Amino acid sequence: MSALQAIQQQMLQAVLAEKAPPTNAIRSDDIADVESRLAIYRHGYRIRLRDALRTEFSGLQCMAGQRFDALLDKYIDAHPSEHYNIRWHGSGVAAFLAYARPWRDKPQLAEMARLDWAISTAFDAANETSVGMAELSSVPPDAWANLQLLMQENLQLLGSLYNIDAFRRAADNGAPRPRLRRFDQAHQVMVWRKGTTVHYRKLDPDEWPVLAAAMRGEPFASLCVTLAQHHDESAAMPRMVALLQGWLEAGLIRGLATV
Amino acid sequence: MSTCPAPSSYANNVAMAMTSTTSSGALPYLGYGLGLRVEHYESLLANPGQVEWLEVVSENYMVSGGLPLVWLDRFRERFPLVMHGVSLSIGSTDPLDDDYLARLAALAQRIEPAWVSDHLCWTGVQGVNLHDLMPLPYTEEALDHVVSRVKRVQDTLKRRILLENVSSYVSFADSQLTEWEFLAAIAERADCMILLDINNVHVSAMNHGFSSLDYLRGIPVSRVHQFHLAGYEEGEKLIIDTHDAPVSNAVWDLYVEAVRRFGRVSTMIERDDNFPPLAELMAELEHARQLAEPLLRDAA
Ligand SMILES: [Fe+2]
Repeated sequence: MSALQAIQQQMLQAVLAEKAPPTNAIRSDDIADVESRLAIYRHGYRIRLRDALRTEFSGLQCMAGQRFDALLDKYIDAHPSEHYNIRWHGSGVAAFLAYARPWRDKPQLAEMARLDWAISTAFDAANETSVGMAELSSVPPDAWANLQLLMQENLQLLGSLYNIDAFRRAADNGAPRPRLRRFDQAHQVMVWRKGTTVHYRKLDPDEWPVLAAAMRGEPFASLCVTLAQHHDESAAMPRMVALLQGWLEAGLIRGLATV
Repeated sequence: MSTCPAPSSYANNVAMAMTSTTSSGALPYLGYGLGLRVEHYESLLANPGQVEWLEVVSENYMVSGGLPLVWLDRFRERFPLVMHGVSLSIGSTDPLDDDYLARLAALAQRIEPAWVSDHLCWTGVQGVNLHDLMPLPYTEEALDHVVSRVKRVQDTLKRRILLENVSSYVSFADSQLTEWEFLAAIAERADCMILLDINNVHVSAMNHGFSSLDYLRGIPVSRVHQFHLAGYEEGEKLIIDTHDAPVSNAVWDLYVEAVRRFGRVSTMIERDDNFPPLAELMAELEHARQLAEPLLRDAA
């Protein structure tokens, strides 16, 4: 190991550790001792990561309340940052909360972190085009059965048993913390970006299997079959029209293709 | 057009900035600028005042799409831009991050900045990122290491870069050179330029007990191409470079000495936290102009 490498590794350990192991690599003088010099770097590392994570996980902050800072500190201690962009340290928070005690006993926290992180990644995902009504209505009637709706690549579906969207909405609007609700069945929250604005909303129970099928690239005929499992024949058709209109308005469809 | 800063000199600066990106020769002089921060997006576009150029933090725009790049393009239409990175980690003993360099090069291609800068430091090792500007030991070994990496970065970006002196709180027993000897040697041997942060010179001088004037005198005049001005916080024993306060009197005094020595150098106020209204930063920038211009006129 080179001398430079050795110094950098010692510094790294001194910053990550609670207390610095003694080192004679660093000069001490009348101005300040080694320990107070290192403390500045150690303190700065934690503050910077905490600030960056706070910005990305506003829903989690709302849900965790007073436990939020302790939760961040445990995560920061357990996982040194690896990405040059400090924001990206947020990519591991949901997984950490899902396995680490005591948080794994409160699965709503990991689910909340997943929503926050999905919103964060959608914010600067690649720009995509979106299809309008004119394009869709120009598809000839006999081509619809094999029509493929190409959905936005930045579109994400997150399953949850809790009202996570309500916590994020409260954080976004500066509203008081909502009551935690647990549903009997998992529902889906959709996260996507239209233009430069990130949106999220809970999907209706009949909407998500259809949307999921579209995201898998299934043709329109099979989307209709999926929807028909939730409605009788007379209701399915107008419901499908309403779904399509909603998706177009939300800018969810980036293109059309044929299977 | 009425809201543009000094239209004729502005157009001139844009023209100079544009030509500089295609030649390996002299970098343009841009005048008095600010670091672009999200907090001031709206107010700066609405009222650019006498701000002549902007420095953008490269990493904030090394993204795939969305709002950051929309804002960046808006500012690109109105101001000459320079790119300032915090994660190059030029001094690390980990390999240079090729993905990072590719994204940096792509951003430079997109916005054609007047120049690209980062810091003379390391930000992590063994795959861990400390998100801090860690100082190097000032040794021959570190010198060789950094010089070879600056050359590689400059080859990749096809331009000379500027390296900035950082504020530091530790120094190493191994160091054989002073900080300014080290910085000067890197600039000469790697053929790169220097971004001199006047505040950081002062902070490090106080923390390590050297003379900030010795520092200035040790830096070759021809290498300095940009000044940063910023504020710090008094700690218990050390002073902390927070870049979150107004420029201190000591730093204004040192700036005057720097202008005397280095002459006409593009200057900006760098505020990273505790953001005041834009007007306060503009007033600080105006103060820099008022201090420097009479000296520069006398010298001419
Ligand atoms: Fe600086």
